[in-house]
Amino acid sequence: MSTILKLFAFPASVVFMCYGALTILGGHITPGGGFQGGAMIAAGIIFSLVVYGVDKTPIKLSHNFMASLESIGAIGYIFLGLAGLFTTGFFLYNLGVDLYHIVPPNIVNIFDYPDPIHAGIIPYLNFVVGLKVLVGLSAVVITFLESDKLIKKMESN
Amino acid sequence: MVYIGPLVLGFIIGFILGTRIKPNPESKMYFPASVYVLLAIVVIVMAYQLGPFPFYTDSILANGLISAFVGIVVGKLTFGRG
Repeated sequence: MSTILKLFAFPASVVFMCYGALTILGGHITPGGGFQGGAMIAAGIIFSLVVYGVDKTPIKLSHNFMASLESIGAIGYIFLGLAGLFTTGFFLYNLGVDLYHIVPPNIVNIFDYPDPIHAGIIPYLNFVVGLKVLVGLSAVVITFLESDKLIKKMESN
Repeated sequence: MVYIGPLVLGFIIGFILGTRIKPNPESKMYFPASVYVLLAIVVIVMAYQLGPFPFYTDSILANGLISAFVGIVVGKLTFGRG
């Protein structure tokens, strides 16, 4: 890649990632959400990966990091679902909003998202979905970029 | 009034990403602190142009964007020094 592109790619990636985070945060009241924001963050990571290469990229996602983040996203989603199930009997019941008034107020306060909309667990679901998506899409590209190494390793074995 | 929700979640997302930004010894590209200063200016201008997205009333800047950038810088400074 050209030097100009190499100078531009990393700062642009950081701006992409910030805007992806903003998209995740507005997911409960605007078009967008966890998947879209996560895809934008992954776009920033992929941009650096394509320009600098998988070995020289300044945004380096290790295998353990990706596995941990993916697991945290999945476990967070399940936790929010099970919290509703154990409290009310409904999986993914929105404990922060409590439309049917069947949850004690102290639990509602725990899951209440502090913003003017008071969307309950929806922003938290967007957050954990965003984590899963950013890792998932980045992992696909990292796997493709590392396929040469993998093939050489398999051939040597 | 500035709401705490987007500030905290934006910071956490930025922090997670910032911890992965590390200088690579194999690469000849080097991004000094001045790059982050320039990025801060860009992000502030961008946040001003976006307005108080997505809450529309709380401040003149997009809080989530700025908190995500602060998270990236803090994550980079704490765990991303390589």
